[in-house]
Amino acid sequence: MPTLLIFRNLLRHKLRTALTVGSLAIAVFLLCVLRALVVSLDAGVRNSTSDRLIVQSAVSLFVNLPASYLGKLQAVEGVDSVARLQWFGGYYQDPSSFFGQFGVDPEEFLDMYPEFKIVDGSRERFLSERTACIVGRQTADRYGFKVGDTVPIIGTIFQRLDGTPWEFQVAGIYELDSIVWDETTIFFPFEYLEESLEGGTASGPPGSGVIYMHLAEGVNPVNIAAEVDGLFENGPQRVQTTTEAEFNAQFVSMVGNIPFFVTTIGGGVLAAILLAVINTMLLSGREQRHDMGVLKALGFSDWAVFGVMLGQGVVLCVLGGGVGIGLAQLSAPEIAKLLGTMFPGFEMTSEILTSACTLSLGIGLLSGALPAAATRKLMAVDAFRRGA
Amino acid sequence: MDSACALSAKGNQNMSSTTATRAVVDLNGVTRAYSRGGERLVVLDALDFTIEEGDRVAIMGPSGSGKTTLLNLIGGLDKPGSGSVRVAGEELTELSPPELARWRAGNVGIVFQGFNLIPVLSAQENVELPLLLTRLSRSERRAHAAHALELVGLADRASHRPGQLSGGQEQRVAIARAIVSDPTLILADEPTGDLDRASADSVMALLARLNEELGKTVVIVTHDPLAAASAKRSVHLDKGRWKSDGESA
Repeated sequence: MPTLLIFRNLLRHKLRTALTVGSLAIAVFLLCVLRALVVSLDAGVRNSTSDRLIVQSAVSLFVNLPASYLGKLQAVEGVDSVARLQWFGGYYQDPSSFFGQFGVDPEEFLDMYPEFKIVDGSRERFLSERTACIVGRQTADRYGFKVGDTVPIIGTIFQRLDGTPWEFQVAGIYELDSIVWDETTIFFPFEYLEESLEGGTASGPPGSGVIYMHLAEGVNPVNIAAEVDGLFENGPQRVQTTTEAEFNAQFVSMVGNIPFFVTTIGGGVLAAILLAVINTMLLSGREQRHDMGVLKALGFSDWAVFGVMLGQGVVLCVLGGGVGIGLAQLSAPEIAKLLGTMFPGFEMTSEILTSACTLSLGIGLLSGALPAAATRKLMAVDAFRRGA
Repeated sequence: MDSACALSAKGNQNMSSTTATRAVVDLNGVTRAYSRGGERLVVLDALDFTIEEGDRVAIMGPSGSGKTTLLNLIGGLDKPGSGSVRVAGEELTELSPPELARWRAGNVGIVFQGFNLIPVLSAQENVELPLLLTRLSRSERRAHAAHALELVGLADRASHRPGQLSGGQEQRVAIARAIVSDPTLILADEPTGDLDRASADSVMALLARLNEELGKTVVIVTHDPLAAASAKRSVHLDKGRWKSDGESA
């Protein structure tokens, strides 16, 4: 019956309960989404491995490395393979249809990234055809690209001299095992770009933006990074070698204090909802003071009435939190689509949902504990006196 | 009638195990004072009081005379500043709050002036409340509550909530709740205070029946001389002291 009392008391003011559950649901939903945004920002950092190093110009990421560096890096002891990567920076149809495009050394790149799974089409075709490309699942779904389609990309950094767009044939669609990259990018053979530049059919800066190195097993990445940096200390282009995690972290830091702002907003939302629920529960506690006095007069223990009040807070918050968590989980795929390439790693992880559950329960316990403690101390005669 | 038999069983056993004149309530030198605005207000002043088993006593007196405080002390809802409060064989001043709660659940049924039913529970559920503190199964609890409601003539209102009942019906539900666990003692604080004459008479008749047919000891605090007249004995409090003590009829 005390359990029945918990639910009946919550239904005593249906509108108030509904509004509180609604506000909790919105707050928890918002917190889940904000948390997922923060997590997505550094998903690439968390999923990085230490056997991949990235060599870039020490001056800037936007200064290309000379072509001759590839062989020198391959020759470093402990380096398994190397792959060039060049940011292409074009767009599909119009500048608002943006997704990343990279020229890569296909075989070396896919070998050092086993996380890439070609789920549709052919890896071999990507490796063998000069104008082939692989497209991330999200971009393929967004624009309806299928294997065999030709994707015209209008260059901005690299432009074809005849004014026509670059054309890439879709050799495969890829998905990722873990968020080391995103599923929005198009990769095409670096050689296609290189030959076009060397053959005079296109214009743009020579060299490659960065060179990825895959290390042999058991090699210390710190030593290799120092060796590589030392190798080019006297030019022609000084380099900076970083682990994959450090490299990805650069991009997170480029977005400035977004994680801080998002966390602060989340904290504000949390504090506001906590105060609102505490207020609601204190109000309920005052309203039920007389009833709790009756229970005590009938012989119910202090802890039994404590449980009735605490239970109301917990049920209220778990209900609101549950609705919010459900909404967050259901809407996550749509939100990810809306965010598109801005937050490619956006997903509602089980960690986020578990945290939201714990948080809801915590708010419930805290908001219920205050009126419950007051009720526990209350003497029946005082309840009747004040309630009269 | 079956209901009456079921509820009276324990009461009769209690009566048979003791002498007819055993004191159920025995207060000696009880003083209760409150501090109000820095001043000490003595509500009960070295009061002695004895109620024998099977008695039906009306406690009368003007507002502030200490009637409700006395009833709270007898019911274990309050503790005296000094003196001894022995009820149903237990010295209440020596019990801790949890022990007092357990003692109340087993020995006392309380009827309040304002009915004090839980508004979100039905009449049946309100009456079942004290039985949650027993080892009875759910079906046994339901059966006992139904019997108690039948006894007070409200079997057909079992599913109604307090807001759907009249004042007289609410008070009868409160009486059903007070007797459902078959307590030794029924304490009623102004049970007719919020009722019209007809309902008040009905409630007093019900309390008299519980006393006479089931052998319950009944203590009634009242302002109402007509209600007091239905008791076997009435006593008068004034400023925390007895004014008189004698047979009312």
